[in-house]
Amino acid sequence: MATVLFYILSAIALTATLLCVTRRNPVHAIIYLVHAFFALALLFYVLGAPLVAAWEVIIYAGAIMVLFMFIIMMLELAPSQELQGLVWSRLLPVVLLSLTVLGATFAIIAFDPGGVDGIPVYFATPRDFGYTLFKEYALAVEVVSFQLLFAAVGGYYVGRTDKKKGGRK
Amino acid sequence: MIVPLSHLLIVASMMFTMGLGCVLGRRNLIMILVGVEIMLNAVGLILVGASAYWREVDGQIFVIFLMAMTAAEVGISLALVVYLRRRKGSIDADAFDEMSG
Amino acid sequence: MNETLLFLIPLLPLVCGVLNGMFGMRAPRLFAETLALFGVATATIITLLFWSYADGEGSRAVLYTWATSGDLQVDIAILFDRLSAPMTLMVTGVSTLIHLYAVGYMAKEKDYARFFTLLNLFVAAMLLIVLADNLLLTFVGWEGVGFCSYGLIGYWYGKGENADAGRKAFLVTRVGDVFFGIAMLWLFALTGTLSISEINQQAAGFAPAVATGLTLLLLLGASGKSAQLPLMTWLADAMAGPTPVSALIHAATMVTAGVYLLCRLFPLVSLSPVGMAAIALVGVLTAFYAATCALAQREIKRVLAYSTMSQVGYMFIAVGAGSVAGAMFHLLTHAFFKALLFMAAGCVIHLCHEENDIFKMGGVARRASFVFSLFMAGAICLAGVPMTGGFYSKDAILLAVYAQPGLLFKSIWLLGSLNALLTAIYTFRLLYLVFGGEARGEAGHAPGGLMVWPLLPLAFLGLGGGILNLPVLVGGNEWLHHFLGPLAGSVPAVSHANEWMLWGVATVLVAAGWFIARHFYRNVNVPRENVVSRFLLAGWRVDELVERLILVPFRALGRFCWLGIDLTVIDGVLEGLANMSRQAGEKMRLAATGRLPHYVTAFAWGLLALLGWCLWRLVSL
Repeated sequence: MATVLFYILSAIALTATLLCVTRRNPVHAIIYLVHAFFALALLFYVLGAPLVAAWEVIIYAGAIMVLFMFIIMMLELAPSQELQGLVWSRLLPVVLLSLTVLGATFAIIAFDPGGVDGIPVYFATPRDFGYTLFKEYALAVEVVSFQLLFAAVGGYYVGRTDKKKGGRK
Repeated sequence: MIVPLSHLLIVASMMFTMGLGCVLGRRNLIMILVGVEIMLNAVGLILVGASAYWREVDGQIFVIFLMAMTAAEVGISLALVVYLRRRKGSIDADAFDEMSG
Repeated sequence: MNETLLFLIPLLPLVCGVLNGMFGMRAPRLFAETLALFGVATATIITLLFWSYADGEGSRAVLYTWATSGDLQVDIAILFDRLSAPMTLMVTGVSTLIHLYAVGYMAKEKDYARFFTLLNLFVAAMLLIVLADNLLLTFVGWEGVGFCSYGLIGYWYGKGENADAGRKAFLVTRVGDVFFGIAMLWLFALTGTLSISEINQQAAGFAPAVATGLTLLLLLGASGKSAQLPLMTWLADAMAGPTPVSALIHAATMVTAGVYLLCRLFPLVSLSPVGMAAIALVGVLTAFYAATCALAQREIKRVLAYSTMSQVGYMFIAVGAGSVAGAMFHLLTHAFFKALLFMAAGCVIHLCHEENDIFKMGGVARRASFVFSLFMAGAICLAGVPMTGGFYSKDAILLAVYAQPGLLFKSIWLLGSLNALLTAIYTFRLLYLVFGGEARGEAGHAPGGLMVWPLLPLAFLGLGGGILNLPVLVGGNEWLHHFLGPLAGSVPAVSHANEWMLWGVATVLVAAGWFIARHFYRNVNVPRENVVSRFLLAGWRVDELVERLILVPFRALGRFCWLGIDLTVIDGVLEGLANMSRQAGEKMRLAATGRLPHYVTAFAWGLLALLGWCLWRLVSL
């Protein structure tokens, strides 16, 4: 059951991602990305990480993507014309790199016998999760929280309006 | 036993590749950021898979950190996008070449 | 009294010179003149007061240690002994008279403070050479007199040729200084000290070849200062300076510095027979060269300049013959009569309305009999008329050469005697042309009292200078020889018969010179020019030779270094490098487009390379 679910969800996530990166309209792209993230959240759940799945929905699909959407709407972006005039020289490293990454993945799988082993059924309870997070990674939590604070300050600074010049132009 | 780890790796790497393609191939600043998000999520997928594979919770904790970092990154970069748009009236990455030598 | 007070001798002229330099132009003229006179006069008095300090081994005074570095210890030390004491007295005494004369001579000069400053500094530096017990300190004085003579020769620098003469003197003497410097370093390497007295003590242990090398280096150094072959060309041109300068620098003091240096280091010099022979040879050749040149000169001061060269050559002969006493004797008498001659020449030039050409003078004897008497006194000393100081000192030298065994010294004696004849000829030629006959030029103003009276003591000293070292032959006691004691050098004894013979020869030569000069110049008013006289007038064309042999190749080398090396090779390489970097920069600039996608793409290529490499390693394992 879970195996089937994994393949279905993977297919949805990959398809949605592919659609996302090829859309001309950023709004559409974001919508597809939200789809992909929902599928990803379920994948996380299937892999035994319910807490991460919940946060994927709440933080990624909920907060971050809504922020993207909000900015796109605020800037009133028109659908971009960039995909019409694609320059192949620019896509060359993309193609090559994609092939290399995939090749590296297959190479790792081929050369690592353990890679073909199945993933055991595993379920991390929120209790285990919280225990490890706040006990073993307490310092990292603090650091990350500082990072968030700095990001908030930085975002405010970059987005401020110059009052002397009479606001945004 | 759900699936082999290799299948998970393949899915994640395909997703990562698509995100990479998005970053490299598109000129819209928003889409470049979207590509970054996709790549980060592909990494998150691998971390969760690895967490399950080794029955350790650490991988999931790293995903949490990843999310926090992404939140910070997105906050700043979107603010920058707004700022750049205000300055130039465009969010085309090619429009910004003031640092040209 | 303390021997440290001996330092006052060089210090007083130094301080007065510095004060004159700082305040001379602001104070009244009398102040500058008095100050300059005060410096040298007090130095003379102090020398006399301290005369007894020279007895025995002499007095050595150390003011302080100047520099210490490893083995090198340089003391500010002076040595007042039986060699330096007479020299000091001569320098200070003659300088005082010359300063007195200079006050009169420069009475109308505007820039008097600079003149008196340089004059005083010169005396201070000269006294440093004479008194220093340290070769480095000697060298300071050595360079000091070089600098001051440069400044004084080019005193009227408004005229380009005067400035050129100053530069020439400076540069030519510098060539000699280089060799002196090398000798100094070598001596330090050998003995570990620069103290003259210690070097002289240790000199006995030197290998003959080393002593020869050192002597030749010192000889070249001395040649530069004393205007000997091959570094003699500067002296004749140095007559561009004011007459007191010529008297002070080019007659009495500076040119004798080389002789004095060789005398000072005589214990070292005497170790090398080859070196001694070279010194004598240089001396006699210079004497001959200069005497022939003096025969054809037309300017009164140039005649005297060449005669100075010639007489200093005699001193070198004396050193080469091993007779320090003879060298010092001639040095002292020569200082008296040559300073006298120069200063009298200055008076003559004034009398003839600033005319230098002896063919445009004439008849001065009748107009200024006193000046004529003074000049005559100096001239007969120079010519070596019997019973004058110059006769005794020159004859002592010829005697010393004659006493040395060997064909070389006999030929030197022969040439030296021929020189005596030439000296007599050019001296009497000068007398006849300047003082005899009718006046051929304008009459100038009579020199003031200050320009005449200081010459009187010099005239007496020159005429009576023989008393200093009167030979036993005429009832003297060779005072200077005994006074110098162990420093006097040694000369083989000569029989009285030979001595009488030499005197006879000298007398005959002077008489012959007089007759020849009388025959040719008594009634001749215009110069007769021919190839030989032009050749001699130009000083054997040595200047042209130097120009062709040294200056032209040197200029060519300079041009080659400038155009061939500096502008093409060095600049080419540097500019090429600069161009290369600029072009590379231009190319690299294109890479920095400032566009985000390009940077990200480059980043992707890097990632590709990294991953590809990892993949390749993985596959190839």
